[in-house]
Amino acid sequence: MAFEEKTNLKNMKKLKTLMMLCYAVIVAVAVLTVSVLAVRKTDQVLEKKVSTLTTALNVQMELNLNNYLHRMETIGTLAFAEEQTYTYDATDPDNDEYEATITETAIRDKLYSLCIMENFVDYGVVYRNNHRVGKISNGTVDLFGERMFQDLEAMITRPRTNDGWAAGYQDNFNRIYYVKRIHENALLVISFYTAELKSVFDNPEIMKDMSIRLTDGNYNILYSSEADELGLPLSEDLVSRVADRNSVTVLDKEYLVTVNSSNDNWFVICSVPTKIILKEKNVIQLFIYMIAAVAAILAAVIGAVLYVKLTKPIEQFVAKLDTKAHIDQLTGILNKRSFEEYTENRLNASLPIEHHALIILDLDNFKGVNDTLGHAAGDQVLANVGGILRATFSTEDYLGRIGGDEFCVFLNLHPDDGTDYKDFVISKCEALCQAFHNNYTGEDHNFKISASIGVSIFPECGEDFNTLYHSADKALYKSKKSGKDTYTIFADMTEKGEEN
Amino acid sequence: MKAVKMMAVSAVLSLICTSCSSAPVITEQQQQVEISLSWWGNDSRHEYTLAGVEAFEKLHPDIRVNCSYSEWSGYESRSRVQMVSDTEADVMQINFGWLSEYSADGSGYYDLEKVSDVIDLSSYSDEMLEYGRKNGILNAVPIAMNAETVYINSSIYQKYNLAVPKHWDDFIDAARVMRKDGVYPIAGAEKSIWLFTISYAEQKTGKSFLKDDGSLNFSVNDLQIMLEFHKRMIDEKVYPQVKDFSRTCIENGTYAGAVAWVSDAVNYFKDVQQQGTVIEVAPYTTVEGMEPGEGWYAKPATMYAISRNTEHPKESAMLLDFLLNSSEMTVLQGVEKGIPLSTTARETLDRENMLQGIQYNASLCMEQNTELNQMNSFIENDSLIKKYTEACNLVVFDKATPEQAAAKLYADIKGK
Repeated sequence: MAFEEKTNLKNMKKLKTLMMLCYAVIVAVAVLTVSVLAVRKTDQVLEKKVSTLTTALNVQMELNLNNYLHRMETIGTLAFAEEQTYTYDATDPDNDEYEATITETAIRDKLYSLCIMENFVDYGVVYRNNHRVGKISNGTVDLFGERMFQDLEAMITRPRTNDGWAAGYQDNFNRIYYVKRIHENALLVISFYTAELKSVFDNPEIMKDMSIRLTDGNYNILYSSEADELGLPLSEDLVSRVADRNSVTVLDKEYLVTVNSSNDNWFVICSVPTKIILKEKNVIQLFIYMIAAVAAILAAVIGAVLYVKLTKPIEQFVAKLDTKAHIDQLTGILNKRSFEEYTENRLNASLPIEHHALIILDLDNFKGVNDTLGHAAGDQVLANVGGILRATFSTEDYLGRIGGDEFCVFLNLHPDDGTDYKDFVISKCEALCQAFHNNYTGEDHNFKISASIGVSIFPECGEDFNTLYHSADKALYKSKKSGKDTYTIFADMTEKGEEN
Repeated sequence: MKAVKMMAVSAVLSLICTSCSSAPVITEQQQQVEISLSWWGNDSRHEYTLAGVEAFEKLHPDIRVNCSYSEWSGYESRSRVQMVSDTEADVMQINFGWLSEYSADGSGYYDLEKVSDVIDLSSYSDEMLEYGRKNGILNAVPIAMNAETVYINSSIYQKYNLAVPKHWDDFIDAARVMRKDGVYPIAGAEKSIWLFTISYAEQKTGKSFLKDDGSLNFSVNDLQIMLEFHKRMIDEKVYPQVKDFSRTCIENGTYAGAVAWVSDAVNYFKDVQQQGTVIEVAPYTTVEGMEPGEGWYAKPATMYAISRNTEHPKESAMLLDFLLNSSEMTVLQGVEKGIPLSTTARETLDRENMLQGIQYNASLCMEQNTELNQMNSFIENDSLIKKYTEACNLVVFDKATPEQAAAKLYADIKGK
């Protein structure tokens, strides 16, 4: 019989497993919840940070551009330091040709010296009759032709300072022009190659995915960090996000775009596809989820280990109590209450076609042991009887002490070799009698102790414990009356009409 | 079991330490060697050179090239400022004349033979490399040869039933029939006209303008011949005043010809040729009875040099080799600077069928002429030309006689 398989302990183990599962689920859900919240918060922080950094970059680019353009304007203004620059008028018909040549040479030399270290394409004066003094390139002359003064004059957009910036003249986006009026018939012209803006919009290596563009007021690209975009209109995707806005940062599912207006209604526009930002976000997410998974597993494992450590002493204590409540301490077999409970349960669960036997045995001459050898010896005999019963019967059979020197066995085991059940029971009874004979021979100070045995068989002698017990008790009584040290099967008494 | 527990605890601690570490965040940025490249030229030269630099940077991502470029006007003065202030670019396109000006003893530019393991000089003959040597030190590598060349708009000349001019008088004759229409038989920028008049004067006097040591060989009388010739050309409307020269007049037919460098041929005539006009390379103008080319000069068109102060000679040499010999740059450049002297580059152009057009014809005319003199670089001195132009203005505007102006010019040159 597996005493460990006690119901309470089973229930306790089930409860323990359930608690551990619940704990694991709670930990997993908690970690998952925290992780999701952390990821969402991280996303928000990351997006805000990227947005802020991009805005800062864009503002810096705009400042760089304004500084660059302002420097050009300042160098342009320096031309006014030479008095002849603003007093000379090449369109004056009264000019002496030689004096005009000398004056223009002086103006040219002055202008050359002012722009000597600049990568200017043009730095000179254009008069209303299209006469030119200073550094006016062949490219500009070819580009403007006969309309040079007229079209350059149209580039002046700021009445306060009488100047203006322009690009994309005749769809030529390779040069950017600055024009400032000197007097009614003269314009100062500065131009530089658009490629010069590369140094203005130089992008740090770490921001290499960022596209930086400069557009005019109509969103035509004047400069782009991307190849082959010069002069093209800004893509509709970007225009729709920044149209009619002077300073804004937009972050949506497709793009992070930021725009700042600069001089003369030009726009510095930085953009990066959102998926590139998300690429980094996904790495962070993966990292967080990996950490969360590891943390959940570790928490569950550590929790389980601690739980087992904490509950093990309690379990052992409960098991001990449980054993004490069911086991006769002297013999190590079931006490009367437990024996009856187990046997009743077993009988209730048995079918009529099954065979069981209830064996009651009462020790012969036990009183003599107590009287002559004392109670300690008597207890030793009782303890030995427990051993005899365990040795004689199987672990599937129920063994119990139901009185002082009265014991009970409920046979669960069936013969598996086709032996008649009654013969099987008889063989057990004879084996039991023989075991007493072997242990208590009566020789050499060994007290001779035997057992009187009564047997009732399920279902012939009864189908419940009380009926079977009374039947077996009657058979025991007959064994006692028959001279002890023998066994009686109640069924035999019935056949012979001796049951009363 | 204990080992497993220890491993688990270690893993957790490592994870926590990794996640919550307060160690400083260090982001390594790509380190690049920065070198600079400077050149002068027109829009097309800027475009293909920038494209070439981009290709070079792709080939060598650890090198970044900062470009500095502009048109020729003012570039010479700027270059002088940079050279004397030690702020010149690492790799420079230089003019032949600057070798004498900045490196008379060969120390003004980097000795390129120190980096001959990087620059493939085997593509150049010793004769060509000699142009880049000063005091025996290889300061520069020539890109192509150059010479002032006479280009004639045959369409206009034929309209006036005139043949392509060969002699100076042919231009004067042409002016007589063209001037009524405001057309000039020829025109040129300041330096071109300067060399044009020197050619005339050398042919007339039989003397070279400079001595071998670079000092003035012309007398006051010789200079007077130059000034008188110039005044006559202006007065006869053979060519316009230098200050009035404008390339747009080539396109609108005001100029029926131009004297210009071989390397300028495409810039000057590309547009007018696209209109269907025929441009011919005329023989080098002479006085009657002389061989074409006498009194005319050839020189390396432009050269590449490395700064003597460069902190990155190897990287600069790599860029220089790319500009001179690489097939990428050769194809981008074509014959814009003339026919390359590098045999490797020339083979590439031949293979790509790019050896053709007005610039190629001008180059052939120069290469096949045996009378051309090697130019002394002082003849291109900016200050010298400026003094000559001032003298010309005095004569042209009747502020001085040719004799007075020549005397003043002689004194100015000698006083330099």
